[in-house]
Amino acid sequence: MATTESDLGGPTDLSEDEQRAVEAQLLRLADDELIQAERYTFWQVRAPTLESDLSISNNAQDELGHARLWYDAVQQLGYSEESLIYESDPSDFQHSTLVELPFAEGDWADAIVRAYLYDVAEDIRLSALEDSSYEIIRNRTSRIQGEEGYHLEHAESWLDRMALDEEASERVQAAIDELYPYALTLFEPVGDVEADIDRLGIRTMTLDEMRTEWETRVESFLTELGFDVPTDAAPATPAGRDNEHTDHWHDLHEQMTSSYRNLGRDEATLIMADDDE
Amino acid sequence: MNVDEVKARAGPREFSPKDDLPEEYRKAATRMLEFHANSEIMGAYLERPFIRKAPSIERKMAFSAKVQDEIGHGQMLYRAAESLGIKTRDEMLDDLANGDGKFLNCFHYPMESYVETPMIAFFVDGAAMRRQATLKKSSWEPYAHAMDKICFEEGMHVKHGESILRELMNGSQKEQRMTQEAFEEWWPRILQFFGPTDDQSTHHDFAAEVGLKTCTNDELRNAFLNTYIPKAKKYGLEMPDEPRIRDNGDGTYEVVEDDLDWDEFFTVSQNEYDGSIEQITGRRQAQEAVQWVRDMMDDQTTTNSGPQTQAAD
Repeated sequence: MATTESDLGGPTDLSEDEQRAVEAQLLRLADDELIQAERYTFWQVRAPTLESDLSISNNAQDELGHARLWYDAVQQLGYSEESLIYESDPSDFQHSTLVELPFAEGDWADAIVRAYLYDVAEDIRLSALEDSSYEIIRNRTSRIQGEEGYHLEHAESWLDRMALDEEASERVQAAIDELYPYALTLFEPVGDVEADIDRLGIRTMTLDEMRTEWETRVESFLTELGFDVPTDAAPATPAGRDNEHTDHWHDLHEQMTSSYRNLGRDEATLIMADDDE
Repeated sequence: MNVDEVKARAGPREFSPKDDLPEEYRKAATRMLEFHANSEIMGAYLERPFIRKAPSIERKMAFSAKVQDEIGHGQMLYRAAESLGIKTRDEMLDDLANGDGKFLNCFHYPMESYVETPMIAFFVDGAAMRRQATLKKSSWEPYAHAMDKICFEEGMHVKHGESILRELMNGSQKEQRMTQEAFEEWWPRILQFFGPTDDQSTHHDFAAEVGLKTCTNDELRNAFLNTYIPKAKKYGLEMPDEPRIRDNGDGTYEVVEDDLDWDEFFTVSQNEYDGSIEQITGRRQAQEAVQWVRDMMDDQTTTNSGPQTQAAD
């Protein structure tokens, strides 16, 4: 176990402030991944080809697996899957509003652009967490990083292809214009906890630093392909991180939890073996 | 090879794309594979809403993986079908979209509630397993080969369905009641999965003679009932009074065919049932909406230029 002087230790070693900061970092990871995955699954049996169906299903399941790991880390701090997802209020969630927007049927460009904007941000976020002072975040980050690299390649190769086609390019450009302000909400603060997250070394880059790197990478890649990037855009509202969401999220949460409620469940079923650290 | 030679040689994995096979054989094998592949796609289409509605993250992962597996099975089976040289994959997928492609009766019925999911994932997939295990001995080698992987994954699906059924039947009174109601609704359709009794089946004789079918409908139905009636009872499901099933006491059963709605079955198998139209139309619209992506991919293929080379032009 690689510990440093500032290592926060495990779930039971945290002070109240430390736990609040760890929780805030973990929750957005869990919520972002779950809802991004949820929207990806829209494309299952709806993707353009059987092959692209299989690929986007892989991405969805990877993200679901990551969400599961992050929610599990939150649960170690005294929460349950029921309270975090199935019995919670939609406004308890802190995912970016980028991931909650619904797809219009057939808008594959939206799926790819959203995946790209998200995956670049995720790549940056994970590198800011790989040396986290909270061991569980460090360990799980390294498990997740390999898969996320593949997701980025998937989105980039679709963008390469679509950039060569006039109609597809127009659709991609429209998706960039629509989604870019929502993607900026990935770097919005959850509240006054961000300073603690940075000070305690839970994350080794500030939100501003992460956003700057994201803007540079996104602009460089998309401009190279001939797209316009709305670099002067402001983050969309609602941002999600501040617990404010679009109506789309309320509808989605309603659907996601409908069986749980209709069956009168009070427990979210576990079927997989526990993870070893 | 002529048909008589095929019949003389017919045996497990006997024929491959290297063989010169008569059109009658290739058409019969194509019909079976296309039906099977279409069924994988339409089964996935039916189950997809429950990825979202699954009542836990781990169940959600299992539903997403199952739906993905089925698309993968469709992909493998269309490939095995294409290798017969009768129809291309695009032609088969187009036929499925426009309502000409045929698929399993159970996938024509809408599924509204989570309690219905094990009716597909346990009973229908369990029934499919019975048939599929025999297809490992298909005389068309690509079909048999595809079944090796498919049967393994279907085994996982049945476990997933059984786990859901067990959980529901160990759940609240309400869950048990809802599950029993779903069982009563689905049970006749599940019995019809194996089609009419053998003397009424139209395609069996030739398919059996050339080694494409290795068991009769009756044999498969008996094998299924032998395993699944005890399992249903074990989980606390009550067998409906009708359709009547006579246990012959020797591992065979007789289903009273008059208790099943064969008019509905044949309407379903012609894609003319309300549910058929709903499922086919829903999927067609989803596929039409992404036609622009396929057109783009076709253009890039036909100009024989991958993204890189075209960019260099």
